[in-house]
Amino acid sequence: MKKLINSLIVFYSLKFAKTITYMLQVSEYRPGKYLKWFWSTDDFSKVITRQQLVKTSKARAIVLGINLGIAIEILTGLVIMFLGANNKIIGGVYYGAALIIVYPIIWSQGIGLLVFMARVLLINPDEKKKIEASKKTFSKTKATKIAVLGSYGKTSMKELLLKVLSKSMNVSATPGNMNVAISHARFANKFTGNEEIVIIEFGEGAPGDIAKFANNTKPDIAIITGLSPAHLDKYKTLEAAAKDLFSISKYVSSKKVYVNLDSKETNKYVTEKEIGYSEEGALGFKVSEVSNSLKGISFTLSKGNKVLNVKSKLIGRHQIAPLSLVAALALQLGMKSADVEGALRETEAYEHRMAPRDLNGATIIDDTYNGNLEGVRAGTNLLKEVKARRKIYVTPGLVDQGKLNKQVHNEMGELITKANPDIVVLMKNSATNFIKEGLHKENFNGQLIIEDDPLHFYSNLASFTANGDVILMQNDWTDIYK
Amino acid sequence: MEKIAVIFGGKSAEHDISIITAISTVIKPLELTKKYLVVPIYITKDGKWYSDQKLKDINRYTKKDISETLKKLKPISLSFDNGLELLRQSKFGKVSKEKIDVVFPSMHGTYGEDGTLTGLLEMANVPFVGCDTAASAVAMNKVLAKKVAQSSNINVVKYESFNKVDFKSGLDKISDKVKSNLKFPVFVKPAHLGSSIGISRAKDENDLKNAVELAFFYDDLILVEEEVGNLIEVTLPIIGNHQLTPAFLEKPLTKAEDFFDFDTKYLQGGKKGSKGAKGSQGYSEVPAKLDRELYRKAEEVGLSVYRALNLSGISRVDMLIDSKTNKIYFNEVNPLPGGLYIHNWIKKGISNTEMVERLVELAKDKYNEKNSINTKFSTSYLRQF
Repeated sequence: MKKLINSLIVFYSLKFAKTITYMLQVSEYRPGKYLKWFWSTDDFSKVITRQQLVKTSKARAIVLGINLGIAIEILTGLVIMFLGANNKIIGGVYYGAALIIVYPIIWSQGIGLLVFMARVLLINPDEKKKIEASKKTFSKTKATKIAVLGSYGKTSMKELLLKVLSKSMNVSATPGNMNVAISHARFANKFTGNEEIVIIEFGEGAPGDIAKFANNTKPDIAIITGLSPAHLDKYKTLEAAAKDLFSISKYVSSKKVYVNLDSKETNKYVTEKEIGYSEEGALGFKVSEVSNSLKGISFTLSKGNKVLNVKSKLIGRHQIAPLSLVAALALQLGMKSADVEGALRETEAYEHRMAPRDLNGATIIDDTYNGNLEGVRAGTNLLKEVKARRKIYVTPGLVDQGKLNKQVHNEMGELITKANPDIVVLMKNSATNFIKEGLHKENFNGQLIIEDDPLHFYSNLASFTANGDVILMQNDWTDIYK
Repeated sequence: MEKIAVIFGGKSAEHDISIITAISTVIKPLELTKKYLVVPIYITKDGKWYSDQKLKDINRYTKKDISETLKKLKPISLSFDNGLELLRQSKFGKVSKEKIDVVFPSMHGTYGEDGTLTGLLEMANVPFVGCDTAASAVAMNKVLAKKVAQSSNINVVKYESFNKVDFKSGLDKISDKVKSNLKFPVFVKPAHLGSSIGISRAKDENDLKNAVELAFFYDDLILVEEEVGNLIEVTLPIIGNHQLTPAFLEKPLTKAEDFFDFDTKYLQGGKKGSKGAKGSQGYSEVPAKLDRELYRKAEEVGLSVYRALNLSGISRVDMLIDSKTNKIYFNEVNPLPGGLYIHNWIKKGISNTEMVERLVELAKDKYNEKNSINTKFSTSYLRQF
């Protein structure tokens, strides 16, 4: 009852337009996703919790449009009621009142339809044109084009390549997590013609995406960073996701597709067309003398007489494979050893991706942008390896795991237990019980805390930690997930 | 879940500090453990008791006037029939009871830290965090605490104490006694207050008279003590009942003539121009950079004071060190350090949540130990009448 009252207060207040626009924005303006969220929400006063509406020009226009529309609707309703009261329209009072009362339904559903129509009639044709134009730009460029794809680790690999190759070459990379066809087109539009290396992140989300991206950008080299259950709401099975990723081999020359073999699942799909890289080495370079701590990782890469001393502030053993590949690739592209070593020394964790920070002597490993099982495996391996007064693992679980949801979260619970944490904090949601099952299966004997309010926990983290603690925080759910 | 009442505010000059201690370092961490149900009890400056979940919100004290919230609430009363129970009266006059399992007093100074509140809790026969009534009363009386420490062969600075009768006899008499027995400069302190309220440094007789007047404004018993030369001021937070765990010895970064007063501790957020760890009470050095042997001795003195005064739960022992002679003097004890001195414990490797959990466990241990003692004794005394 309280939730219904809270929702009605939102519906019939100025918060309505903002709330609806926020839901659209977080749903990436996808009507299906937005409507699914809308109809599964039981308390609209709690919709805007974790983030705020980003006031882009699009968002402002939608808020203004909804408010204007509602104002017109209320005014029309009042006029009908007035005419009804003066016997000019039979039943006008009721029709007018009904028109006013139903405005939240009309606008919450109507806006979904409007966005859908705008996408079909305006945005899609415009984007199509831009993508077609970018195909020519990608074909014309003399730069070596490197495509980075995979269920996880794409952005880190892209940033690593950019950091190291930029030391000696003119390198351009797709910004942030702009990794779909229209982002590639906008990226190509900014080419200066001086690029020697172009790095393009492929953000697959549904079957056929990789082929489409590859067809547009025509990469010379491709790196598959890993395979893990992700976007299974669209792919349905891991096999379908793998098939999509490995379709890149049709568009790139043989032996120019590099695959991360540390990723358990990729091994099943590698053929002689692709070349593997792993914790053991890359492109003929062998890894030895590994030293791993919360301050970073160091190891030696050697191939015949060629020896590279790799040092990086990136943390975790799972970084050995990408660091090795980037080093070997940089040498292959003509960089000097000293430049490669120097550039690698400057590499450090990217924001929210295994990024360590100090909190009153405790180390917080912020891996909240990690949203896949392989990332969990890497994180829990690190947690197992480090020395700490107390080890604390914090997670809400993973999203978009489709039919594998239970299985993935069970395995997640098992992986967490194997890291032997003293405390596990689970943010309460639909995945919690599945993780708990995994914890119980492996006989977790530490303290388990189920937190209802993630924001409350994160903002009070300092109360929870002390000198010498290590806290690994993996993944973070936005308001759309429950 | 166990129900823990956190009592804060109170009729004390340290009322406001108590609110911060309670909400930031006691209530929030207790709730974060997910083991306890916290019942906030706020005592107003004029002594009325209120309990409502709204009183856990710091914004009601810092951004608004708390009286606005209290207007909508009814004061509670207590019942000792079945341990400690809070009695709440509804708008329709119906009284409901809420049983409390453990009490976490978060009050500083008079009527809170000085044993009066714990006396009430002992009567109610409910476990509570911190020192018992007798230890609190001694600890919060700087004169008495020094006497107890002296009897255990712990060094204290040369001092004189004066009560209201002495004050009424005239400032000249006090001044004469100080001049004949102590050397200037001296410190004048109210005997029962913490947080450096009412403390002054007097360089001469004129300063002394002003300082004595100020101290008597706050208290009916005052202490005048010699200043320690080549001073290193250190403090040692300790937890435990029998098995004691010291935190790090901490050194406030301050000069003797610019001592750690209330303003420096709480309002300026630390010592002007000093560098060091920012704790709940400003900038300090944690752990204090002392010669290893001196550090060990100071820690030993701190623990000896804790035992001599029969403290339990948590306390903080302040000491003064003459850096030339390496002589360590016991200065005073704080039975409930502001903010639990949590910045120090965190450095030591005990988080705020662990700290409150430990204190609750220590409270229960002490309660069980006390309840195992027989208090019934049959005599035929009354039959003779």
